[in-house]
Amino acid sequence: MKVMVISADHAVAYAAKLARTEVVPSFPITPQTLIVEQLAEFINDGELDADFIPADSEHSVMSMAVGASAGGVRVFTATSSQGLALMHEMLYAVPQSRLPIVMANVNRSLGAASGIWVEYNDSMAERDSGWLQVYVEDNQEALDATLMAFRLAEDRRVLLPVMVCLDGFILSHTVERVDLPEQEEVDRFLPKFVPYNMLDPSDPKLMNPIVPPEYAMEMRYQLDRAVEHSREVIAEVDELFAREFGRSYGGLIDTYRLEDAEYAMLTLGTATGLARQVVDELRSEGKKAGLIKLRFMRPFPFKELCAACRDLKALGVFDRSASFNGGGPVYTEVAAALCNVPTTVTGHVAGIGGRDITPEHMREMYDIVEKASRGEKVRPVTWHGLRGDME
Amino acid sequence: MYEVRFHGRGGQGAVMAAQALAEAAVIEGRHAQAFPYFGAERRGAPVMAFARIDDRKISIKSQVYEPDLLVVLDESLLDIEPVARGLKKDGKAVINTRKLPTEIDLGVEVECATVPATSIAMEFLKAPIVNTAILGAVVRMCDLVSMESMQQAIANRFGEKFGETAAKANAAAAAAAHAQAAIGRCKGRRPLAQKKEWLPAWNEIPIGTTLDERIVDGVTVGPGGARQNLTGSWRVQTPRYDKEKCVRCQRCWFSCPEGCIKREEDEYVRWDLNYCKGCGICAQVCPVKAIDMIKGGSR
Ligand code: SF4
Ligand code: SF4
Repeated sequence: MKVMVISADHAVAYAAKLARTEVVPSFPITPQTLIVEQLAEFINDGELDADFIPADSEHSVMSMAVGASAGGVRVFTATSSQGLALMHEMLYAVPQSRLPIVMANVNRSLGAASGIWVEYNDSMAERDSGWLQVYVEDNQEALDATLMAFRLAEDRRVLLPVMVCLDGFILSHTVERVDLPEQEEVDRFLPKFVPYNMLDPSDPKLMNPIVPPEYAMEMRYQLDRAVEHSREVIAEVDELFAREFGRSYGGLIDTYRLEDAEYAMLTLGTATGLARQVVDELRSEGKKAGLIKLRFMRPFPFKELCAACRDLKALGVFDRSASFNGGGPVYTEVAAALCNVPTTVTGHVAGIGGRDITPEHMREMYDIVEKASRGEKVRPVTWHGLRGDME
Repeated sequence: MYEVRFHGRGGQGAVMAAQALAEAAVIEGRHAQAFPYFGAERRGAPVMAFARIDDRKISIKSQVYEPDLLVVLDESLLDIEPVARGLKKDGKAVINTRKLPTEIDLGVEVECATVPATSIAMEFLKAPIVNTAILGAVVRMCDLVSMESMQQAIANRFGEKFGETAAKANAAAAAAAHAQAAIGRCKGRRPLAQKKEWLPAWNEIPIGTTLDERIVDGVTVGPGGARQNLTGSWRVQTPRYDKEKCVRCQRCWFSCPEGCIKREEDEYVRWDLNYCKGCGICAQVCPVKAIDMIKGGSR
């Protein structure tokens, strides 16, 4: 193991290298560019034996990724925001074709009100594409989740693409300590890629024909079940990873000081780290506050959330994107998941367009949830750090 | 509500027929709808269209499974498709054939009109587009709409699209069919034709969207099942190649939409008639008329 001080973008690039990625189609976009630049350097320096394909757009990137993966090699790429949006059409070809492509999406707001800063409205818009989505909290998790993504995607029970989502700038351009695994360890954890559905001239097959109504529905249900069954594999991969590298992330969700908690926040991405600190403060004040960290948005942890919230009086749900007039996407999904659990659920939108989320914002969220836990009437959805009174 | 199902082959005008029938009913102040089976239609492939007529607004948009009236634009379909599936016991049928109703075995014994719509169409329209002719027989078979409304509907539909002369010719074809239709009862002896269908449960479909040739049924009839589904069987005319005339320009090879013309080593061409749908494009593009289209789907 080697200790490094690197950004999450570089951590992800190291993960793709350690995974012995074979093809990297790419198109640069801030704040993702550091990932593909670093991979280009690895390839140039002979440290990674892969084909680097500069494409003319992200649409082509994903098309190339589909072709390469169907050709039987391990494919990695990275994108962000408008780039992900431009891939939208091609993204949908991947899960149904059952191609285990791994892609990092460095979360960045999707314009107008354009910016280069973090917001989750890019990846949240793709949550019905069939891609598995994991959101990470820090640079170490960015590296570890990418390694786990390959293992998960390529598992014969899964065979689905995985999108590793990390906060633009807050992770992508922040350096912190990252423990870099040894190549032999990674090779043990991640065996050589053996393709399942593969295009091979000596054994001709037709991939992606037009599918009439007689078959499409069964194929969609098959995909629905594949995403559902990936839950077990996520748990297994987490255990395997812990055995090899000594770090565990809890699978679909993780919890922090939740055992005897009366109220809690549910967060994803870097807000989780902030929430951990605020929970510690609240606990030291004698308050029974806890935290749920949402790791996977797909598969969505319906059962895990119901179990985790069983004894909670109220749960606040953090969103770094809005679903306009209905709170954020995580809030609506969590509320649906908990519809048979007596926990009160509130929505909390913050950090939009990359606005910094301060300890005060997080504290404010916890205060509202605490009130809700006492049965007080609170807003269903609150925007934190907003200038002017909410309507 | 009165429900109609049309069976034809791509290019015969089943959809137009359904639409004209619906329009005729609307002309008479009733409610009606018409729609095709939403498939990837290709010239010569079996197709379906549906129509509904009622005195009040029709809300249902599903396909027609138990028709009151069956309209068959191509007699050969009776041998390959379960055309009469679901036809009501007291339903009716209109069939394009030279035979009399008593000579037809539909698989269900019902009141039936037969009409030589193809020869009527050839006479009036100079093309085997049988939809308007068959509508004349439909009017004769059931008192669904008057001949006047039907001819008005035909004039509206065809006039708008193809001009007044075409509208007139089509209306005349309908009138001739109305006069020539033979009414009687068809036979219901034979079992309905069995269509080969591969309808696997979700967990029986191979993972992903790739069909392996080992999935025998799927490759035959499943998505993209062209390997054994010889689309050449839809052909009603066949290219004939005169090698003597051929100047090896490769235009036919380049233009065939089905990719079924092969280049030989010597640059002469060869046909894979298993997939030739008989569109005639090759004959059209050949600069020296080395290809002509002969009637029938023979090889
Ligand atoms: S008729 Fe000619 S162009 Fe048309 S499918 Fe057959 S070979 Fe091809
Ligand atoms: S288009 Fe006519 S002349 Fe040219 S290759 Fe075909 S058959 Fe021969």
